Amino acid sequence: MRYADFTPYDIILLLQGLGVTLALFVGTTLIGLFLGLLLAIVHHYRIPGCRPVIVVVTEALKNSPVLVQLFLVFFGIPAFLHIRMTPVEAATLTISLNTAAFAFVVFRSGIESIDRDQIEAAKVFGLGRSQILRLVIAPQAAAFAVGPLVGILVNQLQVTSLISVIGVFDLTKIGNILNLRTLQPFIVWAVIGLIYYLAAKALAHAGGRIEAALRKSVKWGGI
Amino acid sequence: MIVAENVEKRFRDVEVLKRVNLRVEPGEVVTILGASGSGKSTLIRCINGLETLSGGKITVDGHDVSTKAGLVAARRASATVFQLFNLYPHMTALQNITLAPVEVLKLPKTDAEARARALLDRVGLSAQADAYPQQLSGGQRQRVGICRALAMQPRYLLLDEVTSALDPEMTGDVLRILAALAAEGTTMVFVTHEIEFARHISSRIVFLEQGELIVDLPTAKFFAEDGGLAVPRIRQFLSKMKKD
Repeated sequence: MRYADFTPYDIILLLQGLGVTLALFVGTTLIGLFLGLLLAIVHHYRIPGCRPVIVVVTEALKNSPVLVQLFLVFFGIPAFLHIRMTPVEAATLTISLNTAAFAFVVFRSGIESIDRDQIEAAKVFGLGRSQILRLVIAPQAAAFAVGPLVGILVNQLQVTSLISVIGVFDLTKIGNILNLRTLQPFIVWAVIGLIYYLAAKALAHAGGRIEAALRKSVKWGGI
Repeated sequence: MIVAENVEKRFRDVEVLKRVNLRVEPGEVVTILGASGSGKSTLIRCINGLETLSGGKITVDGHDVSTKAGLVAARRASATVFQLFNLYPHMTALQNITLAPVEVLKLPKTDAEARARALLDRVGLSAQADAYPQQLSGGQRQRVGICRALAMQPRYLLLDEVTSALDPEMTGDVLRILAALAAEGTTMVFVTHEIEFARHISSRIVFLEQGELIVDLPTAKFFAEDGGLAVPRIRQFLSKMKKD
């Protein structure tokens, strides 16, 4: 067997890469959704001075290349602040913030889609802010947001491939390694692409099920 | 008792309420009449705290609605029925009614549901308890809105043009329910354009004209030649409403 041949061990390598990709994706998704929701709530309650800051930061994140953001975080911030940052830390920070920016927009429109009249009714009946948020706004905003969010997350899964550039051993990086060793780019990148495709399809499928379940429990049929 | 003293409300430069005085004693049904834009709904929205006053004072059973604690207490004492129903679309009729009793009054869920079902039964909607607002007609929605208000067992019922968005047949359904409530001695502040109905159930009628409360009379006196009808503006308003 020549050094350049594919070996059974390559499958383990691919699975490891996929594991890193998925772990990073899940981690940044959880942080990003939480942060995006938090920003939407802060934005909704017009906490003084916060609105312009949130809008400027999220607009910057949405409208600049993720690769540039990644370079800024990995090379720029350590140089500027004289701190050390590992590739995984930089990748987690960058993708989380990026997801948060897109999630913020979806959550914000979810909240804004809710009629003010019902909120007035809830107020008059004595419900407090957090009760209104939890019982009136959140269920409706969630049903509104889940579809667009799944779309965003499928895209963010692909975006994680960029982190291979700063040296995280994700699926794409493994592809790079296999490619350099075997010199069979067509096979390697087709397989890598297929794995991303399957992961994205599984994610979209799961999202579709969540959406269906949410809409079933809120079967008023609106929105 | 609901007491409004010299209530003023301005939206930017527009004076919507001008030194309005009003007292509503327990057991009274007070109807507020007036043309569109005369400030009727705004007055209701000042009483339930959805608008802040620009001047004057409103108390509900002595609780000043302009203070935070007072508003909480005042909102416990009163309940509002809205022109456009304002139901929660993601909740069934039953859930719409039980939300505030469970969350605000801390009633056990089973008690709140029993209370809600009894109310729905009373307004002829027991079969619709698990329907969502979108599955109900306008008249049915408003009846759910009334149940939602009654479930709080309020001392005062604030009714803000509750039949304006309904067709005549549905209006009849809703008015019958309100008449029964009035007959039981429920205290109501009633903003409406249904003049004949107001005449039938009100103990007092007040008339707002461009934000000023120009007449406050017992119902019979309001419709008497030497009472309300002696005021040219009211005579004009009533004859115009009759024509429509």
